[in-house]
Amino acid sequence: MNTWVYLHFPHLLLDYQQALQSPEQNQAPYALFESHAARRTLVQVNAAALQAGVKVGMADVLASTLAPSLRVHRYSLSQEQRVLTQLAQVLYQDIAQIVLYPPQGLLCEVRSLVRLHGGYQAVMTRLQSRVEQWPLRYCLSSGYSPLAAKLLAEAGTPVVTDDGDSVQQAIAALPIQHSGLAGSHIKKLCHVGFITVGDLLKRPPAEVGVRFGRAVMTYMAELSGTFKPPQAFYHPPDKFDEKVELSSEVSSWVQLLFPLKRLLQQAESFLQSHQWSTRALVIRAHHRQGPSTQVSIQFAHAVWQHHDLLQLSQLHLERQQLRQPVLALSVRLQRPEPRQAKHAQLLAGATTGQDQLSALVSRLQARLGERSVQSIQYTEDWRPERQGGVQPWQFGQQPQPLKQQRPCWLLPQVQPINRQQWQLQWGPERIVSGWWDAKPIKRDYYIAVDQAQRQGWIFYSQQGWYLHGWFT
Amino acid sequence: MAGLPNGATMSLPTAQDLRPAALHCLSNFSFLRGASHPHELVERACQLGYQALAITDECSVAGVVRAYVAARDKPLRLIIGSEFNLPELGTFIVLVRNRQGYAQLCQLITKARNRCKKGHYQVTLSDFVSTLPDCNLLWRLPQTDSGAELIEQTFATLKQHYPARLWLAYGRHYQAHDADNYCWYQQLSEAHKVPVAAVCEVCYHQSKRQALHDVLVAIRQCQPIDSQIAQLKPNQDYCLRSAHELASCYPAKWLAHTVAIAKQCCFCLSELRYEYPAELVPEGRTATDYLRELTYAGAALRFPEGLRTEVQAKLEKELALIAQLNYEYFFLTIHDIVQFAQQRGILYQGRGSAANSVVCYCLQITAVNPDQIDVLFERFISAERDEPPDIDVDFEHERREEVIQYIYQKYGRHRAALAATVIRYRLRSALRDVGKALGFHEQELSHYLRQIDRRDGQQSWQEQLAEKFPGLQTSYRGRCLLKLTQSILGFPRHLSQHVGGFVIAATQLTELVPVENASMPERTVIQWDKDDLETLHLIKVDVLALGMLTALRKMFALVKQHHQRDLGLANIVQEDAAVYGMLQRADSIGVFQIESRAQMNMLPRLRPTTFYDLVVQIAIVRPGPIQGDMVHPYLRRRAGLEPVTFPSEAVREVLQRTLGVPIFQEQVIKLAMVAAGFSGGEADQLRRAMANWKSSGELRQFESKLIAGMRERGYSDEFAQRIFQQICGFGEYGFPESHSASFANLAYASAWLKYYYPAAFYCGLLNSLPMGFYSASQLIQDARRHHINVLPIDIQHSQWHHQLELGQHGLQLRLGLRLVKGLRQSAIDKLLSQRPQGGFKHLQQLRAAGLSGADLHKLAAADALQALSGHRHESQWQSLALQVEQLPLFAEATAPNNNATSYDLQAHPLPPPAEFQDVAVDYKTTGVSIRRHPVALLREQQGLTGYKLASELAQCRHKQLVRVAGLVTCRQRPGTASGVTFVTLEDESGLVNVVIWQQTARSFRQTFLTAQLLKVKGVVEIHGDVIHVIAGHLEDGTEQLAQLGVAANRSRDFH
Repeated sequence: MNTWVYLHFPHLLLDYQQALQSPEQNQAPYALFESHAARRTLVQVNAAALQAGVKVGMADVLASTLAPSLRVHRYSLSQEQRVLTQLAQVLYQDIAQIVLYPPQGLLCEVRSLVRLHGGYQAVMTRLQSRVEQWPLRYCLSSGYSPLAAKLLAEAGTPVVTDDGDSVQQAIAALPIQHSGLAGSHIKKLCHVGFITVGDLLKRPPAEVGVRFGRAVMTYMAELSGTFKPPQAFYHPPDKFDEKVELSSEVSSWVQLLFPLKRLLQQAESFLQSHQWSTRALVIRAHHRQGPSTQVSIQFAHAVWQHHDLLQLSQLHLERQQLRQPVLALSVRLQRPEPRQAKHAQLLAGATTGQDQLSALVSRLQARLGERSVQSIQYTEDWRPERQGGVQPWQFGQQPQPLKQQRPCWLLPQVQPINRQQWQLQWGPERIVSGWWDAKPIKRDYYIAVDQAQRQGWIFYSQQGWYLHGWFT
Repeated sequence: MAGLPNGATMSLPTAQDLRPAALHCLSNFSFLRGASHPHELVERACQLGYQALAITDECSVAGVVRAYVAARDKPLRLIIGSEFNLPELGTFIVLVRNRQGYAQLCQLITKARNRCKKGHYQVTLSDFVSTLPDCNLLWRLPQTDSGAELIEQTFATLKQHYPARLWLAYGRHYQAHDADNYCWYQQLSEAHKVPVAAVCEVCYHQSKRQALHDVLVAIRQCQPIDSQIAQLKPNQDYCLRSAHELASCYPAKWLAHTVAIAKQCCFCLSELRYEYPAELVPEGRTATDYLRELTYAGAALRFPEGLRTEVQAKLEKELALIAQLNYEYFFLTIHDIVQFAQQRGILYQGRGSAANSVVCYCLQITAVNPDQIDVLFERFISAERDEPPDIDVDFEHERREEVIQYIYQKYGRHRAALAATVIRYRLRSALRDVGKALGFHEQELSHYLRQIDRRDGQQSWQEQLAEKFPGLQTSYRGRCLLKLTQSILGFPRHLSQHVGGFVIAATQLTELVPVENASMPERTVIQWDKDDLETLHLIKVDVLALGMLTALRKMFALVKQHHQRDLGLANIVQEDAAVYGMLQRADSIGVFQIESRAQMNMLPRLRPTTFYDLVVQIAIVRPGPIQGDMVHPYLRRRAGLEPVTFPSEAVREVLQRTLGVPIFQEQVIKLAMVAAGFSGGEADQLRRAMANWKSSGELRQFESKLIAGMRERGYSDEFAQRIFQQICGFGEYGFPESHSASFANLAYASAWLKYYYPAAFYCGLLNSLPMGFYSASQLIQDARRHHINVLPIDIQHSQWHHQLELGQHGLQLRLGLRLVKGLRQSAIDKLLSQRPQGGFKHLQQLRAAGLSGADLHKLAAADALQALSGHRHESQWQSLALQVEQLPLFAEATAPNNNATSYDLQAHPLPPPAEFQDVAVDYKTTGVSIRRHPVALLREQQGLTGYKLASELAQCRHKQLVRVAGLVTCRQRPGTASGVTFVTLEDESGLVNVVIWQQTARSFRQTFLTAQLLKVKGVVEIHGDVIHVIAGHLEDGTEQLAQLGVAANRSRDFH
């Protein structure tokens, strides 16, 4: 009797990233790598890369020799774990008992579902069709113990059956390298001539224990199911705030639709598993630098299905402009509510507990738009044009005073002047800077008074004399 | 501007006084702070008519020698100084007034640096109290307000210790706070009666370097430049300014102070005199006498039949030259060190131009008999060239540390330190650092770097990048990247330790140069590198490590033990035809210097028959002669296919001994003199430029001069061009004749041993690994091809090291336990000391002798316990049961039973490993297998039907189509052979040399790059003894190997 099913996703993060892209983009060889000291080893590769002869475990230098157009990206454990959690959320619609085996595995208890769905095979079909909503490479195996299912799935030799004996045979035939034991144990087992897991299982446990220690004995018990380690079952979160990292920079909303669709599908699974709906969501596009672009979307009525979410979001986005390329996209659901609930109160108690300034600012932002409320900001740059500026209000940011003497009024545009009409008082302060962004300046600044005795800030550059600001 | 006059209006000083002085200049030896080379600062100062320039790198004098060289013949006074930044107190600029002042500065730098780890220093005000009586102190006030009280106290202290030697250093760089600053300096000056000097802060020589300076700031902060703007200087006025600019910027009086300070600083680096450690000469003797005595005493040993008159004449000439140049102590120092090595039985050999002299032969510094190659003395230290003698001494690599400790102990750490090596920006590091500063992504940069083939001689790296990434040239940021990377190339990055060059001082090293900590614990380095030392005529003694010497000593010991023959480097039979015969067959695996694939290809062509041929052989397979296209002309002339001619009599003198073809570095330099009209000084510059052309590209400046000079003297342009190419090639791995000769001596000695005492030869080599070109496995395969019986590792017979045992057919090689991966010698020595006469009886004995369970298991895994516990699986099964410490009671109860596990084994016997499994585990646990070759196993399983053995190739027809297969033991792509890769395959019968042309490599790229077992279809080419297979089709057999369980990743790729 095989109570457990294990799903192994060997290229989870990469497949997920590819799922966020159009199929054409996925034609190019692509791989994820991990660094060990100076060496970078590929850990996940896509189909196009496999075709070019690239393999998992190769050094990236070698791989890019084989596939010169290979794009590589750093593997991130935390990202992959996030993807796994999202997957669990999707499966949670069908299966109540899921255990996360980060970073690439999910264990499901299926025994309790057999009666509900009318047979083991029906459960499997349902599970598989659910998983296949996502274009992920995976391996699914049954097992009489969690470990047995896991090993078979991870080894890529799955057995999908209710029959315990088939599983047992498959386990016995498993090469010892795929036993899931620690490397040091595997090495020792090989040394005494054990080639398969079966070679180990047929030895008396006591003899094994003397030589390989308690860990291997426990392993044997866990494998057979006589020892049942406690499992930490998955509980869905009650907030939805998911982010996806894009594998390449994207510069228009149109290109973001693909990943957005995926995120909204996840949002639907989330709402579905809680039997919730939502009235508002926030889409954020994250850039390499600077604050992210944020779009808040309100729905007139509560929705939960991803096409509704997408349709309304799309309308909003068409009006938006992207200032910079996007590296990552996130969706946060706001104010989810039980589906049967009627209108809740609007704008309830928003000001309690917040100080007045921020309440005022929020209110102004709500009325005028976020970008309309701005604060003065200094940036570290020698070029006066870039030194001061305004930027959208952010809480807790206090402008630093400038170190140099600067006029209180800086002209938006410098004005050419007649030097004869000015009398120099102090100077020069020479500013030659900015070569790195192709907008360099080369100026000698003076404090000077004009004929009306007004103190101004003027400069000389190769183009001549200009007025740049007023002290009085 | 309040108070600052715009334009000097005081009484006009004389023209001489008007010439400005720069007293605070950072060169790029203030790592990541200065943006100009020292020589650039000097040259710019000369252009601007400066009278004096101080190089004041931060707590360092590492750049001053370069500045000294640049300023040597110029009307510019170079001032030596250093800058120190003190927390809260601003900057102190110390300028040296005289020789004593210089020593005081060196001591201060040494003290400040010794307090910190490599690259850092620490000073406080108290360090400047009473330590610098012969230096001037310039004080640049702190920019942040550190409190009037602290400033007052500092004034009090400094005024007391620097009476009339203290100035405030005011610098105006056209900033907003200039006026405030000016007033502050003036106020303090009046209040404390300390004069102000006008001292600009100079970070680069001309304003164009601002961008590079900004990049350096960003690199220092490890941040992109646009996030570090506050750290950048606001304008480009940190350069050297013209006299006119200075006059309109500072009060004339302050400028006059600056000039006055400069005039007080009279120290020149040429005053430094190296003084030799005096203790080497017995009291009451002169060094000349003593050296002569030692030399003649040595001559009596070296030439027992007495000196021939020519040799004696040469000896006298050398002694006279040594006396004339006062180099006696140098020879005595080295003599002392090699004496120590001799007493300890450490094998060594001297090399270098001065090493191949009769004096060095007599002093036992070298074993190259000058009788054999008397031509070499030509480059013995020459009086005209005025350069210090060059002797490097190689010691056994396993025992060099003893020699280093001896030097430290004999002279003390205050008198001996290693020379520095200046680590400079190379393309890779430069593009990375500049790119990151400009905000390029790390991955993007590595992508660019991967596309650059640095061996491409046709295209510069910029051209290569422009071709592959046109966007780089068109974007502003891309152009900045290319331009700034080019300008940072060759910039010093940090000081590292020289491989073994010691500087030994008569009294205190810090009298000469500051000493700082190296990254290796207990090692200190001076702030100058070997070029600096050479410039200043300071002497360094090179104590280097060489693996072959270790191996040779072990071979000699074995010969003595088993053949009762006392051999040494100096007394093996010279010019043995049989030995040369072996080399002509390219049977040279393990022979020093001529064992690489390229050398082995050359041996049957060059067919060495004399010692001097070996000297040529070693030097010819190198980038210099190859790039100069000198190899084929030499071979043709040697084979008599081409007449030996000389373009002129002058050239004949230089090239006669190499058949009119320049082979050695010295010859090429000499040619530049006799054929292109270079002066001695120019030739010397050329030699130095060759040594570091990669980092500075200095060589190009000689190209036109060389070619024009040779054309003028009637040589063809083509010949001139080849000579220049050769010079460029030498730049990478130059090889002077003298070094080649010393190496040839070791090559001959090792070849001789290989021929006459092969067992001792392989045993000695194997016991000295890691060294050389080949792995233990390859050496053992070679030994077996030479009919040496190799016996397995066995706990009953093996020692830690490999041993020779007498068998029925002579000496056999018993492998030692050192091959077993993960074992420590101390544990094994302890075990073997308790091995009973008749061997161990059972496994528990090993545990009882103190061997850990883990080590026992390693022995079992390596199949060293056969004799005690059966095949590998059984041994390991049993050893595992003994891993845990057992109670004595329990152990006693089971001991009579032989072992506790026999019951179980009888009931469920373990299957013995298959042969291929054993082979695989042999490789895994020891790196070596003396069972059948994996390729033989494959062949047995019908995996290689139709494939020829390596040994069968000699019987093939020239141009016959063949298939061969073997383990890839070496992939070599010579930088010079365009697009060709040489692959060596090993099968059970020997080695196959495969040539893969670029086209083939491309078509089978994956197989070519990754296959461990390579199957080749191709054409066999036979030229005399040289057999190649030119590959047409490649197939990867690694999978077949893997099915056997053998992972044979033993290839040495692309060396």
